[in-house]
Amino acid sequence: MHDDLQKAKQRYESTEIPPELSFTVAAAVREGERRRQRRRSARRSLGAGLAACACFCLLVNSSPAFASALADVPVLGDLARIITVERYQINDRDRLIDVRLPALTDTGDTDLEQRINTEIRTRIDEVLDQAEQRARAAREAFVETGGREEDFTPILINVDYEVKCSNEQYLSFVITKTETQANAYSEFYLYNLDLTTGTQLTLPDLLGPDWRTRCDQAVKEGILQSEQAGGVYFAPGEGGFETVSDDQKFYLNSQGQPVLLFEKYEIAPGYMGVQEFPVSVSP
Amino acid sequence: MVEQHLDNRRILTEYILASQADFYRLAYSYVKDRDAALDVVQESIVKALTKADSLRNPEHVKTWFYRILVNESINWYRRGQRLVPLADRLDQEAAPELDHGARLDLYDAMERLNEKERTVVRLRYFEDLKLEEIARVTGVNLSTVKTRLYKGLRHLKEWTKEDWNDA
Repeated sequence: MHDDLQKAKQRYESTEIPPELSFTVAAAVREGERRRQRRRSARRSLGAGLAACACFCLLVNSSPAFASALADVPVLGDLARIITVERYQINDRDRLIDVRLPALTDTGDTDLEQRINTEIRTRIDEVLDQAEQRARAAREAFVETGGREEDFTPILINVDYEVKCSNEQYLSFVITKTETQANAYSEFYLYNLDLTTGTQLTLPDLLGPDWRTRCDQAVKEGILQSEQAGGVYFAPGEGGFETVSDDQKFYLNSQGQPVLLFEKYEIAPGYMGVQEFPVSVSP
Repeated sequence: MVEQHLDNRRILTEYILASQADFYRLAYSYVKDRDAALDVVQESIVKALTKADSLRNPEHVKTWFYRILVNESINWYRRGQRLVPLADRLDQEAAPELDHGARLDLYDAMERLNEKERTVVRLRYFEDLKLEEIARVTGVNLSTVKTRLYKGLRHLKEWTKEDWNDA
């Protein structure tokens, strides 16, 4: 038995290690560190934040005078625009849901606020609805194929948001939905608003008529750079990047620069994670 | 307390960077696909670092990480939505059928063990983990690990009997 085990072990150890491994590992370490920090800061601020938030929301909601007074205070003016209107958790045998729902407020444009807030709410409700159906279907399938009901791992759903850019003119924020069942998969909903016109920003607004060429170039350069560092992307024609779509996802970073976002698996193998490429505004 | 966390994270990161080839081999032995194994390694590292603060005893970093890695590897199969194109699978060898009288290589025979026994055998003989460590990785008690190892080895002996008689 001993010799055979040694032989088997040699065969195991001769598994070929792909050259992309070290790149994948380095990228994963960065991503993990980033997520840990986000989680930590959210948790730490929650205690103090909650009480403050509660009366903040209340005051903003109950008194238009307070809201507009707040907007005049330089620093608070920026903060008052995106607030958490609702935070709830559902824990049952099918699912563990944690939602932090944002809403737009105090932009001085009630039409815009209503439109955006209704859209956010409808979209999140729809997403949760679908996730619930999936959770139920998964559990039924699990039980039907002989699994014990108490062994079923509930689906984890997390909805959160992050403000990417907030200044006099622009407001850009990203809503992230992460659904975990064995593997985590995130979807992003991005909102970019021009507060001066009350409209949703588009890439042509920001980059001009040749926006597509400039985006394509930025992405191709970004891919090339990453490939030199060991990154791997799907080849064009095999699901890889060819050109940006009309509804290309993007957000504005704190400098007001558009950053194109590609979800996991969109243009690269899953282990490459989410891909982001900034495009400079001035040609 | 904060410094302890910082230390643990540094230990974890160094450990991950130093042992990445081991992670890949173990993940590959479960998923048998290059990209899938890379994906499993990536998911495991992200998950481990996100939860780094729950690593209390840095001496257990290996078993702590292996627990995440093994779970991710096994879950890769369970996830129903993950479809693999048939063409990608056709050129891969299937788990060998038991053919009485034919010699069965021990490595191939391991593929026929059930998942729990296979995990224990792999960790014991390929990754050289102690039985107590395997208990921590799999989250079961020591006597369960011993039982699974014993059963696993008994099956392997049975399936590779021809081979041993020759030897």
